[in-house]
Amino acid sequence: MVYLDNAATSFPKPSAVLYEQERCMRDYCGNPGRGSHALALAAAEKIYECRTEIADFFGGAGAENVVFTMNTTMALNMAIKGLLHRGDHVLISDMEHNAVFRPIYKLAREGLITYDVFPTMTLDPCRSAETICRGIEARIRPNTRMLICAHASNICSAVLPIEAIGALCRKHGIFFVVDAAQSAGHLPIHVGQMGIDALCAPGHKGLLGPQGSGFLLWGEDVVADTLLEGGSGFRSLEGTMPDEAPERYEAGTLPTPAIAGLCEGIRTVRRLGLSNMERHEREINRYLASMLSQIPEITLYAPMHRGSILLFHADGISADRMGYELDQRGFCVRAGYHCSALGHATLRTPVGGAVRVSPGFYNTHAHIEAFAKAVSEICGRN
Amino acid sequence: MMRNETNDRECIAVIGSMTQAMRAQKALASAAVRAKVIKADSFDETQGCAYAVSYPCAQEANVRSILQHAGVRVRSFSKGGWR
Repeated sequence: MVYLDNAATSFPKPSAVLYEQERCMRDYCGNPGRGSHALALAAAEKIYECRTEIADFFGGAGAENVVFTMNTTMALNMAIKGLLHRGDHVLISDMEHNAVFRPIYKLAREGLITYDVFPTMTLDPCRSAETICRGIEARIRPNTRMLICAHASNICSAVLPIEAIGALCRKHGIFFVVDAAQSAGHLPIHVGQMGIDALCAPGHKGLLGPQGSGFLLWGEDVVADTLLEGGSGFRSLEGTMPDEAPERYEAGTLPTPAIAGLCEGIRTVRRLGLSNMERHEREINRYLASMLSQIPEITLYAPMHRGSILLFHADGISADRMGYELDQRGFCVRAGYHCSALGHATLRTPVGGAVRVSPGFYNTHAHIEAFAKAVSEICGRN
Repeated sequence: MMRNETNDRECIAVIGSMTQAMRAQKALASAAVRAKVIKADSFDETQGCAYAVSYPCAQEANVRSILQHAGVRVRSFSKGGWR
């Protein structure tokens, strides 16, 4: 089996992640922040360690800015619903995942907010940070309160100029929310330097952690309303959630084993080196694009962007059929619309969507050669 | 009888959340002050439980300065940690 679906979740996980999750459940899995006996404190120590690791890795102000969530979607909902008010206007990009689009669409349908979509010019070879920012600036209104965008697309390797967009948001006093589902652990991110108010990320993709270990890293001095209310482990006699972050945003018990695993995932990324991993994934992606482009039936979408994702379609073969055939040959890819109606419309993929290939650090050139051979065979070439 | 018996050589800084208590403990540890995170349920009867750090009373002035410098908001200082 060759796993090429790392944009959905990375696989395999590093042994350090597996070991720490198992060690947590065996040795120190008390309830963190609930009570103060030895196991509760040991679990709380690990949670704090992971908050510190995340804040440090992403240039956050401190451990208290790190809010653990189940996944990126929950983090995005927390930022969107916690910061927006009735009458606000929001800008989102034309490459957004449904994790951004659906909460915004729901609020707009309910008449609470309005929104506009700004062009990322993903198919334009002349795109630049300046042209993208001009498109954004033209859509800013007096009541624009938030801009949300995916740092890296989940259907191709296009990346947005986050630092320039962050500076623009600062200039206009707009909350800047970044969906880092495909960039955390792949690209350098510094919340402070990039002017990010809310960084929403998964632990189980580029950071190599387990599923269930997402987080929201708040920028400095951002205070939001809560998405969930419940037990916080302190101030239990009060009817409202405490003011203190991160507990304010974390009602209920945290998944300590998943968070312990995430901590080791981030350390693995540090050890391997973000730039080494990025370089490897770009090279594998370049090799994949060059091999698939030799098959006449194949259309590649936005292949000029180099990263860890490649989207393709084969003439006369639906994406789902291609996915099925590849699975039969031992290749794991994802076919369809990838929860991104906006992105697929922007890239003009056909009805039924396309096939996404997302190699990871553990993939080799031999995997790509075998994969291209399988695609060629499915297209009736061999 | 051990119930509610306190140790007068230990002092307590009541902080609030576990994260802030951990932060306080790390700040104190990095200044070589031995501190322990404890739960201080009975220190506030209106808001309910809070986390606190206990430390040797002899370090009181030092602790106040370290926590202030670290930006840890302390709700109250008191004498007498749990035994």
